[in-house]
Amino acid sequence: MGVIEIRGLVKRFGSTVALDGLDLVVEQGEIHGFLGPNGAGKSTTLRILLGLLRADGGSARVLGGDPWADAAQLHRRLAYVPGDVTLWPGLTGGEVIDLLGRLRGGLDERRRAELVERFDLDPRRRSSTYSKGNRQKVALVAALASDVELLLLDEPTSGLDPLMEAQFREVVRAGSTDGRTVLLSSHILSEVEHLCDRVSIIRAGRTVETGTLSELRHLTRTQLDVELAVPVPTELVSAPGVHDARLDGHRLTCQVDDGALGDVLARLSPLGIRSLASSPPTLEELFLRHYDRGGGREPRP
Amino acid sequence: MNGLGALVRLTLRRNRWFYLAWVLALGAMVPATAAAYETLVGGLAGDGALDLMAANPTMRAMLGPPTDLTTPGGFTVWRVGTFVATAAGVMGLLGVVRGTRADEEAGRTELLRSGVVGRHAPLTAAVVVGLAACALLGLVVTAGMSAVGEPVVGSLALGLGVALVAASFVGVGALTAQLTSSARAARGLGLAVLLAAYLLRAVADAAPQHSVTRGLAWLSPVQWMALARPYAGERWVVLLLPAALTALLVAAAFALESRRDHGSGLWTVRPGPDRARPGLLSTTGLAWRLQRGVVAGWLAGLAVLALAMGSLSGTFDQMVREVPQLAVVLQRLGQGTDRLVDAFFVALLGLVAVLVAVVGAQLWERLGAEEERGHAELLLATAVPRTRLALSHLAVAVVGSLVLLVAFAVLLAVPESVSRGDAGPVGSTVGAALALAPGSLLVVGLAVLLHGWAPRLGWLVWVVIAWSFFVVWVGSLLGLPGWLVSLTPWDPLPALPVEPMDWPAVLLVTGAAAALMALGVWGYRRRDLRLP
Ligand SMILES: Nc1ncnc2c1ncn2[C@@H]1O[C@H](COP(=O)(O)OP(=O)(O)O)[C@@H](O)[C@H]1O
Ligand SMILES: [Mg+2]
Repeated sequence: MGVIEIRGLVKRFGSTVALDGLDLVVEQGEIHGFLGPNGAGKSTTLRILLGLLRADGGSARVLGGDPWADAAQLHRRLAYVPGDVTLWPGLTGGEVIDLLGRLRGGLDERRRAELVERFDLDPRRRSSTYSKGNRQKVALVAALASDVELLLLDEPTSGLDPLMEAQFREVVRAGSTDGRTVLLSSHILSEVEHLCDRVSIIRAGRTVETGTLSELRHLTRTQLDVELAVPVPTELVSAPGVHDARLDGHRLTCQVDDGALGDVLARLSPLGIRSLASSPPTLEELFLRHYDRGGGREPRP
Repeated sequence: MNGLGALVRLTLRRNRWFYLAWVLALGAMVPATAAAYETLVGGLAGDGALDLMAANPTMRAMLGPPTDLTTPGGFTVWRVGTFVATAAGVMGLLGVVRGTRADEEAGRTELLRSGVVGRHAPLTAAVVVGLAACALLGLVVTAGMSAVGEPVVGSLALGLGVALVAASFVGVGALTAQLTSSARAARGLGLAVLLAAYLLRAVADAAPQHSVTRGLAWLSPVQWMALARPYAGERWVVLLLPAALTALLVAAAFALESRRDHGSGLWTVRPGPDRARPGLLSTTGLAWRLQRGVVAGWLAGLAVLALAMGSLSGTFDQMVREVPQLAVVLQRLGQGTDRLVDAFFVALLGLVAVLVAVVGAQLWERLGAEEERGHAELLLATAVPRTRLALSHLAVAVVGSLVLLVAFAVLLAVPESVSRGDAGPVGSTVGAALALAPGSLLVVGLAVLLHGWAPRLGWLVWVVIAWSFFVVWVGSLLGLPGWLVSLTPWDPLPALPVEPMDWPAVLLVTGAAAALMALGVWGYRRRDLRLP
């Protein structure tokens, strides 16, 4: 049985349909990426899993319990970091960590000290003087220092600088090897790519795709923009692993499966590469390419 | 300054109800007092009785020096003028902090400044809108007083005086918003300045005639309206003082804003403890930590009021011996008792019971603010059940307001107890206050009910409170129909010691309050949490 099991979840806010039959299964011990563009319903899903909002339809189970009816008992076994952390301005970061830890049922003192150090957080400063990233660190320390089975993280790195993001990844990975389950929402593909075992992609309140990253390999093509010394040979368009190629004299733009990247570059370099730009596709581009045709809801095969 | 026009419109839209409510409440109070002159004063004015009362040092300390009590205009300036000018100062102060530091703290200004507006544009917009509200209030006062038949020139002096005093505190707010990095501290600092100004003039006005201390009143901005003597030979030049002060403070605020970083104040915030003390580590501990400043502020204000009123009551018997007509007025206010001190205490406790309901409702509403700011989301994602969170805030609201009520009653009766050498008055006054407490709790109960089932209708609580104030303040004087006056939460309760104790009524209202609270908390458990 999964740690999180959601079937056909529906949530409306007035006339807005935030969740429209969402499915999600998170297995014991995995780091699960919960991916979707802004407004897709990620935060709403997490809040239903926490019993903060009540679902209008469908079913949700967390750690074998009902998230609405058993909220307080379940919350001893999980920790949550909201997307936009706001803290009490007059309290210091250290006070907030202790408060949230105690209300959850206790903190691991050693881990608390280690995390404060690792995230380079000054716990004596008042929350009103913290930046967004620092407020997020406070909530992260409180969540990661408690001894829980499940972590629910809503866009946890959106305020962190790259150095801190790396620290964050390391901590989450270490926690996962201890057997913790993590559900991590994000609207940035590359963020979950580095960390997650499996990914669910949602859009407009529905799950459009779920699987391991290698199953979703077609989502992780690299965008290439190349200028060659000679006109681009047309047979490149049909080379294995090359998609959506466009030729324009000496110029080639295309997407390449990560596995075929080496072969494609090997074929290009004898032709004399004048310039080359590569970029991972943004989630928005992915959605445009994969899900926006045929009514926008059904993934293209 | 780019985008200033758009920003002024935005500030207007975000604050229009705030300012309108203040302007209407204060603007209506002034002509209403003038119109009630005959009812309030009756035949007292002619023979110097009122002058005697106004000359009492405690009265002078509270209301300021009278100029001309023989006309409705002059009476109004004395009775409510300084109060309205001071309250208008609170409006100006809170309004400008709302538009500057509060928005900056919440990160809204950052969004704006990353757009096209200039560095000073948010401050300019907040000051412009604040000054416009002051001007509107002045206009309402002037028009209202003229409409009830007072001389236009005096009404203009009064309106202009009130507007300019308020404008000075727009300046104070603009300045404190630069100094502190939190809106709360900016408000607190500004209110402390205002309170100091009020106390300064109280000390000055209560000083004996010919004492140099009386001259100190000129240093208090809240006194400048009265010193301009509306309806009593206007001294227009005095009004240059608040005008100059406003200009000075606003200029200083702009200068300071250039010298600080966005998001921080000129005063740095001192660091605090790196670990929480055990007292904080519960929802009730947190609720108390968040609210203790509010409770302390009210306690200080009510203590000053109680001691002032308590010592005033000691001089009653003497005053009434000299001016028998005064007794009539006091009895009318105090539900017809013979003992004047009792009558006075009954009237006052009725008023303070409403004030305590304001505190209770305000303390309870913090829970709603905790939801809207996203703090409740953090707490309820831990092992805290909703009921516990709600009951923690309810406990602070109920205990906090009851403690304030009892403290007020004790301090009110202490001067009389001391002068009589007998603790009796303290006991009976506390009893009288507690007999009114269920009414205050009923208001809190209504707030809890609305928060649980219809949080958007929370404002209804403030309608009930405003109506109750109106009834307590002027209801019995205006001769409103009995059934209308009885529509307050306190009406069924006995006014001890004038009326006999009525246990069924007290228990009934207490039970109703408890039922509303229980129902409200139940509703709170069932609904979606409100989120930022
Ligand atoms: N409290 C609310 N009231 C009304 N609409 C809401 C509320 N919360 C979310 N929504 C709407 O529901 C949709 C999903 O929002 P959300 O779950 O926050 O998306 P995400 O976290 O994926 O960006 C959005 O269209 C949003 O506007
Ligand atoms: Mg979100």
